[in-house]
Amino acid sequence: SSSITELLSALCDCSLSGVSWKRRALGGVSRESFRRTLKKRAYGALLSKLFQDGTKASASGPGVTDNTPPRNKVLMICFDLRVAGCREEAERLEEQLERLSEGSSSGLKEVDAVLELLVYLAGSAPPPPTSF
Amino acid sequence: MASAANANLNAVRETMDVLLEISRLLNTGLDMESLSICVRLCEQGINPEALSAVIKELRKASESLKASENSTN
Repeated sequence: SSSITELLSALCDCSLSGVSWKRRALGGVSRESFRRTLKKRAYGALLSKLFQDGTKASASGPGVTDNTPPRNKVLMICFDLRVAGCREEAERLEEQLERLSEGSSSGLKEVDAVLELLVYLAGSAPPPPTSF
Repeated sequence: MASAANANLNAVRETMDVLLEISRLLNTGLDMESLSICVRLCEQGINPEALSAVIKELRKASESLKASENSTN
């Protein structure tokens, strides 16, 4: 298994895919220097969020949805999808949620944490192109 | 012993497939490679909200780089 620093580096590398470096090198931006900048920003985001969480919890206590189990949060998204008229997507999402094993039978220790991450990232990518 | 390890590997594969499909339906923008890195980071105890902030920050940075690439074309 890899360390957190190695995994964060790998995540930075993933976000660099699709960037052409040949021409950039001529302009003085090397892959290595941009990689360092990315790492700095990644650690900055990670640490600021962790410190922010600490002050938030001590100042105002947990929010309404903070204690909601991630599976319930996904079900809430299913409800929103239905209200928005996306019945098929909502059903497919519920199906997948039912298929998702809990605890050790999933082979992973932190399935709920991953689900929580997916909820935080929901809708963060541009919508897929529609085909005519 | 080996069969238990195989069963666990199959369970992980199946769980990853389901998580990828959920990720796709939620339009998170994660591909299998970045999802599996995220899963491993969560398994190491990284807070999911903090990790989502990292991913959004990395996207912003790489998008600005790609945008500057397009503007120089």
